[in-house]
Amino acid sequence: MTNEILLQLLAAFLFTVGMLVVLLRRDTIMILMGIELLLNAANLSIVAFSKSANMIEGQVQVFFIITIAAAESAIGLSILVNLYRNFGSIKTESATTLKG
Amino acid sequence: MSPVIIILCVISAALAVTMLFTKSPITSALCLLGVLIMTAAIYGLIGEHMIATLQLVVYAGAIMVLFIFSIMLLNLTDSENDFKKKPFVFILGLAAGITVFGSIVYAILNHFKNEANDKTLGAFSSETVLALGGNSKVLSHALFSQYYVSFEVVSLALLVAVVGSVVLAKRKVD
Repeated sequence: MTNEILLQLLAAFLFTVGMLVVLLRRDTIMILMGIELLLNAANLSIVAFSKSANMIEGQVQVFFIITIAAAESAIGLSILVNLYRNFGSIKTESATTLKG
Repeated sequence: MSPVIIILCVISAALAVTMLFTKSPITSALCLLGVLIMTAAIYGLIGEHMIATLQLVVYAGAIMVLFIFSIMLLNLTDSENDFKKKPFVFILGLAAGITVFGSIVYAILNHFKNEANDKTLGAFSSETVLALGGNSKVLSHALFSQYYVSFEVVSLALLVAVVGSVVLAKRKVD
């Protein structure tokens, strides 16, 4: 087992755990954290593959992904503050205004 | 395969599982911070110094401070255990997770089994990068020459995100 396989397995594991956080937790802030974990796992996979293929494109891609992730979490957290102001809770089951 | 990388992998996997199962949001945020720092250390160990620095400054610095700040702003306490209420959903989610993990691992092992046949290597081997002046220099040169337009577009996207989040957070909904 080489270094690359180990890093890919770690990325797969982190991706799975992030997916489970998004699926199973019901705080919206936990869902946002799960999305961060998913992005981190994808970054790790891209960097490891690009390193083992002797390329620089993967690192450039990860640079852009990190920037967009920062923007995404800023917008997500301000939506979350609005959610708390309107419903008094950030649980997903409390935001039921659109429910028929 | 260096033992340090194995230790970092084990620690970050354990922190991720703790993040999934802990009740309090602040513990989850700190576990996520640990995972991000371990990932930065792995980047540094495999020689990607620029990405390691960015991971520390942007992810572990800016984004996690934002998360912890909003947890404290909203005064979140321990959520009651989500998993006890609906064991059926928990088992279904766990099954989905095992399926996804299994298929990714199968794809990875398949890839590394067939790798020797059709591997095309790029121009930037470790020796070439060292001769060109190090990882940060090579990456910055690529960013400011070949990917110059993407760089500017991303800076515009960041500006839009800043304005958008301020507008969203200050808006009064009637």
